[in-house]
Amino acid sequence: MKLRHLRWGTQALGIFLGLLGVIGIGMTHIIFPGLHCYACPLSVTICPIGLLQNLVITGTAPFYLLGVLAVYGIFLGRGWCGWFCPFGTVNDLLSWRKVRYRKVLSSLKFLVLLGTVVAAWRVADTWFCKLCPAASLTASLPYFAMGLAQPTTPFFIHMGTLAATLVGMIAVSRFWCRYLCPMGAILALFNRASFFGLRLDSQKCTGCRACQNACPMGIAPHLEGNSANCIKCGECVSSCPQHALSLGFSLPEAREYASLRLPWPRSRANRVPPRK
Amino acid sequence: MWYFFFVLACVAMGVAQEIYQIDLMPAQPESLVSCAQEARRLRLYPTLSKSVRYEGPALARKLFGEISLGDATYVIMLGISAQNEVALWVDFDGDLRLTSTEKLQPTGYSWGLVWSFALLARPKGGEPYEYPLSVVWPEGRGYVVLLGDCVLSGWFQGRQIVLVDGDLDGVFGTKGDFLGVDVDGDGKIYADLDDHEYFGLSEAFTLGAKSFKVREISPDGRRILVEETSYVPPKVPLIPGSPAPDFTFREFVSGQELSLKSFRGKVVLLVFWATWCPPCMASLPGLRQLYSQFHAQGFEIIGVSLDESAADLRQVLADQGIAWPVAFEGKRWDNSLAALYRVYGIPTTYLIDRNGVIRYRDLREEELAKAVAELINEAAQTTSRGASLPKLSAQAEPILEIALPKEAGLRPGEETALSLRVTNASPYLAEEIRFSVQGLPAEILSKTPDLFDLPAFGERTVSLTFWAQKLDPKDFPIPIKVRVEYHYCVAEACFQMVQEAETTLVFGGSKASGFVFPWWVLILLATGAHATWLIRGRALSVFSVLILILALAILGFGVYLGQARQAQRVAAVLCTSCVGIEEARAPEVERSPELRRAFAELPKTAHLILFYTPRCRACPYAKKLVTEIAQINPKIRVEMVDADSERERAEKAGVVVVPAILIQETGEVLFGTNDLATRLLSALKEIP
Repeated sequence: MKLRHLRWGTQALGIFLGLLGVIGIGMTHIIFPGLHCYACPLSVTICPIGLLQNLVITGTAPFYLLGVLAVYGIFLGRGWCGWFCPFGTVNDLLSWRKVRYRKVLSSLKFLVLLGTVVAAWRVADTWFCKLCPAASLTASLPYFAMGLAQPTTPFFIHMGTLAATLVGMIAVSRFWCRYLCPMGAILALFNRASFFGLRLDSQKCTGCRACQNACPMGIAPHLEGNSANCIKCGECVSSCPQHALSLGFSLPEAREYASLRLPWPRSRANRVPPRK
Repeated sequence: MWYFFFVLACVAMGVAQEIYQIDLMPAQPESLVSCAQEARRLRLYPTLSKSVRYEGPALARKLFGEISLGDATYVIMLGISAQNEVALWVDFDGDLRLTSTEKLQPTGYSWGLVWSFALLARPKGGEPYEYPLSVVWPEGRGYVVLLGDCVLSGWFQGRQIVLVDGDLDGVFGTKGDFLGVDVDGDGKIYADLDDHEYFGLSEAFTLGAKSFKVREISPDGRRILVEETSYVPPKVPLIPGSPAPDFTFREFVSGQELSLKSFRGKVVLLVFWATWCPPCMASLPGLRQLYSQFHAQGFEIIGVSLDESAADLRQVLADQGIAWPVAFEGKRWDNSLAALYRVYGIPTTYLIDRNGVIRYRDLREEELAKAVAELINEAAQTTSRGASLPKLSAQAEPILEIALPKEAGLRPGEETALSLRVTNASPYLAEEIRFSVQGLPAEILSKTPDLFDLPAFGERTVSLTFWAQKLDPKDFPIPIKVRVEYHYCVAEACFQMVQEAETTLVFGGSKASGFVFPWWVLILLATGAHATWLIRGRALSVFSVLILILALAILGFGVYLGQARQAQRVAAVLCTSCVGIEEARAPEVERSPELRRAFAELPKTAHLILFYTPRCRACPYAKKLVTEIAQINPKIRVEMVDADSERERAEKAGVVVVPAILIQETGEVLFGTNDLATRLLSALKEIP
């Protein structure tokens, strides 16, 4: 089975588990390892960002939430974004233009996370939820279809953020995951230390940049694999003609690969590793 | 011999105390005019600790709760179908199976859905009995409100008496239950919390020259034993028709000594308010308008401020341009006038006529203006008792849970911190929370913090500190009480609450320390996450494993603290404003004088049909607006139509969303609430 087909399977599982409310069970204690609105009529899991804001508002030290997030982070890191998150899957479906990521913009997601927490703390309101495009898609629109949501200002704001994000996704693949997702920012903290990741056989790598062209996040996996912007989706693995890249579970030291401990000077113009 | 002892015992019992038995039967007597009806919130959860089987068609959302009545516990389930139909299932037979026969349909009101039914209460040591109950669901919320209708009634010394299960636990004689006694023998019982015929179970009531106290109540409430007690003066009635108790006060601004009596011959509105009470502040512009309109004709307002800060009050009086006399004692709820008029929630108003008789209570806005006009125009001699007595919208009850360690150790010359966890167990905001320590010897100094507010279902840990230069171990242990004072508002009423928690100060180190928030865990985690980008080689793997262990530990600690359940509760409540269903707060109807005049001057008759649904959050706004327009201009007639029950009519009118206003004359339909007043005005102008 191709890696991509396996990933489609787990992404479908993510959507299925996100919408498990269809079988009639109510809200559970489980925190969702992705961005998925718990206000969705079929949701049975808790959105970590929504919960984070509520806990900040109520002044609760978030032990349970942080513990769960850290466990998720240590297991897959941003692998959740690439393999599971339903909103990531929406991003994937519109991933047509795989342009190179902009380093300046990629730190925006940390600012979004910080802004979300600060807004909850200072204004005591879940402002991120009011703008979240995942909530627009999985809560506002279904409620509108059910006749519950009214075409009021908050609804239009949701539609506006959704439209803007969709346009962004079409123009830049994985736009939301690259630049704005606060959940991605949290998981990114654990990305390098997680037990799941990319491995590079630097002996085989020719620096042809096929992986870079295939990467929906716009990074160069042979240089920046497992970095904060790597969602470990495995597109690079399939694209590598030399089979230099692989993806799997291991201790982080085992896959600490050359791109992070560069055997060649970083200043080389084209960053092509020397042939041996 | 035995006979002698028997007679002696009977005589002794008779002389020692007069005990009377009152037999009660379940009945809601017509004489019960008002009653402090308990409204208990019941949180609903997506799952229950016990397994409940639902047998019926698939539902989009299910929320469960449990109602306990004595030893009996009943599971209820609120189910919402994909078609948005809401129903309540009550496990009447207690078999933990919810079947179609246990499904109840609601009655819809603008403020929520209501189900009324009866359950079998089983009080310990008493007979099971039918317990009538109403369940109210303010739509979209994660809780329901239980309203108790369980009233027992009987007769004592020719006066009717009622017993109410105030705390809704199915057992009579417990905290919160109360009696209503027709003490004045007028055939009516006024048993609201602030009424003169309401008596808590430890409170004595007076009939004629004798006072009585409850000695015992059977758990099923069928039998009460009362005994005579020392005379207690009866409570002064404050119902419409009774004379307003006189009082004197020093006017806040001028310092002049005034009395209520000195206003005899004028219509007086007695307003209990405070600058910290938002509904009170919102009512000020209306009162100002009323005052300027009727003052010249003999209308006066006396404001009784329950503020503590004179500076705040002075500022508000100046800013709002308040010209009427204000009484201020700076004692908040310990105000003597609030005690005299039994004020438990603000704003509270009494409208007193020219003869010093209370005529109306708690009137607001238009109703108040109408009543003032009526009393102004009334001849000074007439007194009438025919007035309505609006009920309190909610009863004051504590909303905070306070957790303190059992003891705290104190050493001479050392500061001891006592951590106190305060949890708000209600959906209301607790405001201005103050802490004080009672029972502390003079040599021990304490420092207490203040909390500005605590949001719904939130929790905070505060630190109380103690310090003493010298201590004598012989004086220990010292039991102390921590007093927590705060207020909260429900709709248009604000309540002041005082709660106490007990702990003990011991000499030396304490055995049990309080809950201290370990910030180091968060710092460690953040540092750890950052360090993953710096560490290399084997150290990185070791580090990952350590982070995993730490993460599992804090996850476990969070579960131990009940945070998993808290998270589930947070997620179970649908934040309608977050997902664009409604505005965060319903906008107030604008009442600019120009707009009102424009509506008043519309020359044509018009028939407006407002289509609403019980679930719609914006509909109350539209309802309020059209009602107000109809009041301003009698040529405009308004009809309210529930679009859910009269779907065909709504479809025929072209109504696709609610609220919608159909102008019958032109056939035009206006949707939504944004800028509705202006749109409606221009649409009405187009009527040929």
